[in-house]
Amino acid sequence: MAALGILDSANLNGGQKLAVKYFTVAIALFAAQVLFGLLAGLQYLYPDFLYGVLDFSVNRMLHINAMVVWLLFGFIGAVYWLLEDESGVPVVGLALGNLIFWVFTLAVVAVVLVYLLVQVGPGELKSIWLINEGREYIEAPRWADIGIVVCVLVFFYNVAATFMKGRFTGIGGVLVLDLVALAGLYTAGMWYTPNISMDQHWWWWVIHLWVEATWEVLVGCLLAYGLIKTMGVRRKIVETWLYIEVALLFGSGILGLGHHYFWIGTPEYWLAIGGFFSALEPIPLVAMVVHAVFDAGHHKLKSTNNPALAWMIAQAFGNFFGAGVWGFMHTLPQINLYTHGTQWTASHGHLAFFGAYATIVIAFVYLAVQKWRGNVWMSGELVGGWKWKWALFLLHVGMLGMTMALLVAGYEQSQIERAIEGSGWMGYFAGQAHPWFQQGMVWRMISGWTFAAGFVLLAWDLMTIGKRESRPARSVEMREAPAMA
Amino acid sequence: MIEPVELANFFTVFFSAASVILFGAGYALLFAWSRVSARPRLMPLAYAAYLGLAASVITLGLAANLFNSGFWTFIVLLMLVGYLLAPHAVWHLCVGTHTDAPAAESVKLTQPR
Repeated sequence: MAALGILDSANLNGGQKLAVKYFTVAIALFAAQVLFGLLAGLQYLYPDFLYGVLDFSVNRMLHINAMVVWLLFGFIGAVYWLLEDESGVPVVGLALGNLIFWVFTLAVVAVVLVYLLVQVGPGELKSIWLINEGREYIEAPRWADIGIVVCVLVFFYNVAATFMKGRFTGIGGVLVLDLVALAGLYTAGMWYTPNISMDQHWWWWVIHLWVEATWEVLVGCLLAYGLIKTMGVRRKIVETWLYIEVALLFGSGILGLGHHYFWIGTPEYWLAIGGFFSALEPIPLVAMVVHAVFDAGHHKLKSTNNPALAWMIAQAFGNFFGAGVWGFMHTLPQINLYTHGTQWTASHGHLAFFGAYATIVIAFVYLAVQKWRGNVWMSGELVGGWKWKWALFLLHVGMLGMTMALLVAGYEQSQIERAIEGSGWMGYFAGQAHPWFQQGMVWRMISGWTFAAGFVLLAWDLMTIGKRESRPARSVEMREAPAMA
Repeated sequence: MIEPVELANFFTVFFSAASVILFGAGYALLFAWSRVSARPRLMPLAYAAYLGLAASVITLGLAANLFNSGFWTFIVLLMLVGYLLAPHAVWHLCVGTHTDAPAAESVKLTQPR
């Protein structure tokens, strides 16, 4: 171990060195997401802004794609972070993992440059392969699609082979199975079909099942490890709960897919399936409140890393409100008929993605920085601790502000554009011109700047937290060794 | 299969749907807090929150025309039962998974006889 408070790679194992690289790119892409979000938000207020240079369609695509990829980089980094610790052996195939990191990063840079400089191409197969596949949220060209699957497969090999060589903990077992689905489901978004309903049918497998199944399970694994590390929660308890939560998530989440099939031309029975599971999807979230209260009373919330724990708590609340409350408000088909595709969806998407996923990646970056600085003190009365608290505060105020502003705009759209004007072209413009919509866009912009300020503070804090600390981290009592499966 | 919501009922649907989840969380929170801190006085409040949830579910059912079909009426009933029983089930799981933890004893002592 090097001196406390100094960033030194000697403090990290091989997997963790690779994880730090992934985290670095993740934060850079997070910055890109914020930047293109701000530009897209400005274009709602000033439609001529960057028109013909960087159109709204390109900004929006970059904003959303950057989010998907930075979260993916963050998740991969988090898994490499815990891999040697969990398995008890060095990462198998680490050199290949490092190579793939550079391939993946360079591919992302190439895709972003093509998005920015080429933007669109003629309606032929070459454009799909080299410029843009045209599927919303997963617009990456076909070569990059294949590249992503290859990268995830190498990542899977690293993880599975390492656990097989070392010990297979409960967290490791769930993780390995989840990574099979993570790589496999992505391919569902790569097949061409001339029928738009069939195309959307498979496209939702990537969007919904990645997000509400494989990512949720991955986050469950990361949270399980995070709680062991920050609070010393017993492994047996955490792993038992991981199994229970995976069962609950799969029980309601997989066929919750049905609420995306309401209006894409699929058979009518999806209204019943989607409605049924959508009504039940929040029950696990509400039930988890009991578990959170139980554990809070049980562990007294003493942690080795307060910023990481705070972001994990933020994850629980963000997931509950973003996915639970904001989702259920407009998920039944009787009302979703009017709300889908309006700013309602954007409101739900902003809070749910930030609450459920961004928070856990940020928590892991704080865990990484702590060890990178020699396992430095990050509990109470941390020197310069105001920065992480203000970053957390500003990011949440900004996100809640955006969510509420989009909610008001979406509420207006669902009434004016959809219900009164019947979803026609003129209805669209009537909805866009309404004062509630326009004021909503102004408040979204103000909140976006608040969020951006929070991001700048977060980035500054991640670069400096623990730098002036000379105390070693608080130790938590680990009551048992990892169980062998 | 579905009867779309009337324009006049939009706000009622959004508000009652949000209330379902928030009252559900309130019920779960008070239920667990009452048991984990051995404060039985909180339990009536927990069930009051559940009554709020039930009222919200019924309001949602009326505003979203759910009672006009047997299938959607069944979903309303399922939500009422599911939200009522889920905190009980998770509490039992919590106690069961913490039985051999030393610090869990204080929690176990607060279980009602």
